[in-house]
Amino acid sequence: MFTSGLLWLPYTKRGKVQTKIARRFSQNSDSRCNKMHQPLSLFHKWIQENNELVNKWKEQEGGDTLTRDQNQNHTCLVWHSSEFHKLCRKIQGIAPIADHTQLELTVVYNAGVCLIAQSQFLEAESLLTKATERILQMTGDGPFASDPPVFWKTALKSVGNTALNRCVMHLLCLQWAIWLATCKLQTIQELQNELLSVFETLSSGVWDEEGSAPRTKSSDIALPVMDQRRLIELLQICTFIAQGAERLSEGRSSEALSGLQSASSLPAPRTLISYTHLLSGSCLAHMSRPQMALQCYRMALETDSQCVCALYQSMLIYRQLGNTQAEIQALRLLHSTLMLPAAKEPSPAGVHLLPSSLLLQSQSLSSLLSVPSALSVLHSLALKCVLHERVAEGVEYYLDLLAALHSEDQHGVHAAGPPLPKLPELYLQAGAALLMARRPADCMALCDEVITTTLELLPGKVVLKEPEECEAETRALCEEVEDGVGMLLWVGAAYLLQGHCHTHLRDWKQAVTTYTRCFNLLVKVRFKKRGCQPQIPSADMMSMQGTDLCILQRLKGLSLAGRGISFTQTDQLREALRDLQLSIQAFPGAGLWCGEVLWRLGRKQEAVACWERTWSFTPHFSELSLAVYLQEPQSGPLLDSTELRRRIEELSPI
Amino acid sequence: VMEGRCAVETWAEFGFSGTPCAPWLQVAFGTDVLLFAGTDEVFVFSSHERKLTVTSIVSSYECVFSYVTIHLCRAGSPPADAHRGPAELKLTSEFLAFAEEGVLSLLLVGSVLLTLSQRRSSWTLTLYGSSDYEVLRSVSLASGVVHNETGTRRRPPLTCVRSSAATPPPSASSSVSDGCLCLEPILFKRLFGIDAALAKSPVVLCGLPDGRLCFLPLRPPGSRLAVLHSLEQPVVFVGASGVTDNGRGHARCLVAVGEQGKVVLIQAEKGGAEGGADRTGFTEGCVPGPVACGCVDEKRLYYSTGSDLLVLDLPEESPERDGPSVEKSRVTHAALQSPSSLNVCRVLALAPPTRSTAGEVELLGLSARGQLQRITLPVDRGDAGWPNAPSTPGGRGVRDLLSAIGDVCERAAALKAAVKSKNQILRRLNQVLNICFLLTADTNTGERDKPIGCRATASWSRLLEEDSLTLTCVLDNSSPYVLERGWTLSVAASPLSGPPAAGGQSPSAHFSFPFHGLHPGETLEVSLPLAAAGQSSLPVTASCSLSFSLAGLLGEEAAALPGLQPGCVSLPLNTLTVDWLHALRVTSPAHGKTPPQSGNTSDAIQAFLRSRRMGCDVGLSLSVVHGRDPSGHPVKLTAKEVKDRTLNPRRFEEETTPTAVEVQVESSSVAAVCGLHHAVLTRIQVPEVTESGALSFSMVSREAR
Repeated sequence: MFTSGLLWLPYTKRGKVQTKIARRFSQNSDSRCNKMHQPLSLFHKWIQENNELVNKWKEQEGGDTLTRDQNQNHTCLVWHSSEFHKLCRKIQGIAPIADHTQLELTVVYNAGVCLIAQSQFLEAESLLTKATERILQMTGDGPFASDPPVFWKTALKSVGNTALNRCVMHLLCLQWAIWLATCKLQTIQELQNELLSVFETLSSGVWDEEGSAPRTKSSDIALPVMDQRRLIELLQICTFIAQGAERLSEGRSSEALSGLQSASSLPAPRTLISYTHLLSGSCLAHMSRPQMALQCYRMALETDSQCVCALYQSMLIYRQLGNTQAEIQALRLLHSTLMLPAAKEPSPAGVHLLPSSLLLQSQSLSSLLSVPSALSVLHSLALKCVLHERVAEGVEYYLDLLAALHSEDQHGVHAAGPPLPKLPELYLQAGAALLMARRPADCMALCDEVITTTLELLPGKVVLKEPEECEAETRALCEEVEDGVGMLLWVGAAYLLQGHCHTHLRDWKQAVTTYTRCFNLLVKVRFKKRGCQPQIPSADMMSMQGTDLCILQRLKGLSLAGRGISFTQTDQLREALRDLQLSIQAFPGAGLWCGEVLWRLGRKQEAVACWERTWSFTPHFSELSLAVYLQEPQSGPLLDSTELRRRIEELSPI
Repeated sequence: VMEGRCAVETWAEFGFSGTPCAPWLQVAFGTDVLLFAGTDEVFVFSSHERKLTVTSIVSSYECVFSYVTIHLCRAGSPPADAHRGPAELKLTSEFLAFAEEGVLSLLLVGSVLLTLSQRRSSWTLTLYGSSDYEVLRSVSLASGVVHNETGTRRRPPLTCVRSSAATPPPSASSSVSDGCLCLEPILFKRLFGIDAALAKSPVVLCGLPDGRLCFLPLRPPGSRLAVLHSLEQPVVFVGASGVTDNGRGHARCLVAVGEQGKVVLIQAEKGGAEGGADRTGFTEGCVPGPVACGCVDEKRLYYSTGSDLLVLDLPEESPERDGPSVEKSRVTHAALQSPSSLNVCRVLALAPPTRSTAGEVELLGLSARGQLQRITLPVDRGDAGWPNAPSTPGGRGVRDLLSAIGDVCERAAALKAAVKSKNQILRRLNQVLNICFLLTADTNTGERDKPIGCRATASWSRLLEEDSLTLTCVLDNSSPYVLERGWTLSVAASPLSGPPAAGGQSPSAHFSFPFHGLHPGETLEVSLPLAAAGQSSLPVTASCSLSFSLAGLLGEEAAALPGLQPGCVSLPLNTLTVDWLHALRVTSPAHGKTPPQSGNTSDAIQAFLRSRRMGCDVGLSLSVVHGRDPSGHPVKLTAKEVKDRTLNPRRFEEETTPTAVEVQVESSSVAAVCGLHHAVLTRIQVPEVTESGALSFSMVSREAR
């Protein structure tokens, strides 16, 4: 971090110096012109025109860029682009003259930069190639290969060590930028050596131009619209980052790592440096070195506190490591960072014409850098808290989430990343959390909302189809179209939660009514196996967890169990036994209560068998993988296992 | 549906001429009318005081929307002293909250300000916080093909919709609360999803110029811009209609209108009886376009084509969908009726209709000439007082029953009238057939006995300083049947021996006289000009016939039908001949130059002829008639009884009183002599057979000097 910070400071200073020089040049030329009253030669006129354009742009750019509107910037850019083009055409209107080449190539460079800034890569590429060909015709070389790497290799070779060398290199830099922006990393790889030498030549001769300024007349120098050294440095690190991301996504983690680590010491803006750390961390994570990865992520964050992706990746590592507390901590940090107003870091002058985002457009990188939205993070946080015994905290997060969803504040929302679950799902989760936090009235209110909103949309008949092989795709499709089954399951779950609430409030009669409502709704669903008629799914039809069928069976089991328990409380033991026995298959946890009812009915041996069976039962899947509202209620009347065991012992003293 | 005409009252004139942008009219704060005509100015008209209170001058079109909202937002509610304030308010750049390129439309929803702009081949909805104008979010949709045929720059409709479950019931029974349309919850959920309903979110509806109707729920955050429907023509208007009057005041139907007249109604359809899925119904129809602007009230769509203002009754209930979709389309076409005209032209912008206390619908329109007009629609008898007077269910039941009874009565009356008119037609047809049989049956028995026949007399009359011969025909109905409306008496007059015309046909004149009923025993007298003096080519035959057109039987409606070729029955009556003798103008023998007197001619000639036939015992041996022929030549007819054995010696021997009559025709004109000779001959020939008289003619022609 410190190294990059140090590198950073002279960077901005240099930019200012450059601008000052540019201003001085233009003033000089003006005064000279006025004094001598001598008509300028065409050559000088062009230089003047170019420099005026450049200065105008820099003034515009140097003004308060942050407050300036994006649109206005764009309009300005379009105007400059067309002006540079006009000038370029004027210069190219006459046959190439050796004296003019430097000017010509600078104007081409300026026009090219403007085109690239507008993402007009094809136009820029043809502009560069044509201009280079034209210049090289003077040296008598040709014809040139149409293959870009070969073309540029021969071009560099033919200019040799002449004064033109530098100009052609500048154009090659632009070509490099185009390749980078269009993700042609393969081409860059082919020209690796040439580009490296270009980089070395251009970045080493830092003060060359200024040194040469006194020798040539100041007005003879055409100014570039973007500092070339700045450009080459930007290109260098962006290439490392893009290559690293590419290799990482191809699984060549160690290869990527070495490149990225060497890039992390390059002079570059903080954001880009933090990217190198971040990607290094990802490489290490892939290489199963989570602790080292965490270290890298920390460095990324230290370099650039805005690098939320590093936080997100750390959170994923903690999740992978099973460190729930750290994961929750990371989620909380991530959320608060995402909710911060995005601090606009002033970008160094001259760079925002070609921002790094323009050069880093590869799919693999953007997927590595993507972060879910603040709301989605908040949801994960809330759910994690509720599932891991931090219910009170979780409830608060859920309420924050619901408030955010109801507010018109669109802060921290972007379309990328996984979408939030549907609102009814969130309501039910929040309801379950509220019930866990012993706030049944609030839970009921939330469930009421879900029921009133959804109930009238329910179709009269629902057919649940057997899940296809391409499970994920159909699920995604179903989410797009609000399917009847999903809505029915929401309403069912809402009734179930309300039943739990009534149970919690020991209002057994209401509880029975609500559980019955839930059950009656659920039996509307017919299950359709391929090639069979739709039928009511039987209780023993267990299926893959997470499917609608699984949820349906779980809901049925829970509602029957709930009703059975309620009946038990009102001493309607017959009804209770019927319901509990039915529910056991879908919800084995009901076995304890079933035994209890049998015990009360005096069928003690059966009761003992039932209890033993329940204790020995190992669930097909962990309860945690189920939706939070499908889990066994914690708030109702409970049976104490030790008490039951005591009873068993009393019954059969050995 | 509508009775009477619209009352149009001009409130103000703004004197702008045609601008490239479609003008836009908005009612703000209840009483103020906001007017944007596509120029730099925004007018604010206070309908309360009937005067222009504020004129805002702004710098450019792009900024207009932002400026105006800024002004109104800053002002909050209409400032109390604004009416007393300056008549013109200059808005300078300090009012500018944000500048955006290519803004087409703008909407304020709660604390969010939305702009719709077109940028680089995509539509962009940008959300700004209305307090600090910070960009909250921006959603884009790739631009489709814009079908802009009129070339005017139109403001794409941008409206906000809420579910009525998400809003407290508004105090007024209007579907509009805080500028948002209020939809019934079920339709809202169907269209915009459960998430938007649960989040109680307002949904922004946007009709794009490429024909797509898009929506964006403002909540939950992160909702996407989605396409609801495509009209395939620029969307001109989006509104909500079908307000139920059960107090909640929510609309049950979304209405979208395209530029070329496509109307889309979006309603929640009730499923079939046994668990058929309920779904959203998109009813499409077409009205004659182009549609310049539109607005809806509870059950009607008002729209202007620029040349006329039309009203379309929207179907109240969505068609019940039982069968397959084929049946649905059938219902669809029946569902949209044809619009009726309100006869108000050149309306370019409309503000939503309001109802006056008297129940009249009032529209606020902006005409092409820049006039702000209040258009008051005539009260529709069907729904006077509807729906501002929500009545009790019982009262409504009675009202419904009464109106149902009224409907049945109307239908019964219409049916009765139809039966009656058919009976009438049958009765008339019967009469016609009777007459046909009567006239055709008599052809064999001889002309004279026809119960329906024509008599004619020729007479001279003086018309326009010119003497002309007029034939007066008298149609005599002595049959027991009535000649009713639809019958026509036709007379064709053609010279018996005229000079052949160019086409080889003798020139003839046809006259027809339609008449309205001729009862038994009645006569019909018609006059037709035969010839002017000196131009006649006598003798002339006048063929009379009766004709009946079947189209006349069916009435005017059928007769007006294009392509109808009405059948015609034509029955010949008798043929009359007008000869020289008829056309003779008799002058008294004493006063030879007496002007001709109509009536006298025939009488004198009749007397003359009769005297020769049977007046032999009277002792009158000589009778003379002086007259003038049609060309004005003097004519003298002399009849003399002679006992001349040489005339008929055989008869003379047998009979005791053999008589011969010598008729002498004297004229200076040879034509007159010949004509009269022929005329007298035709008259004598017939009695000669029966009366066995003898006639001798001596023709004396004297050359006229």
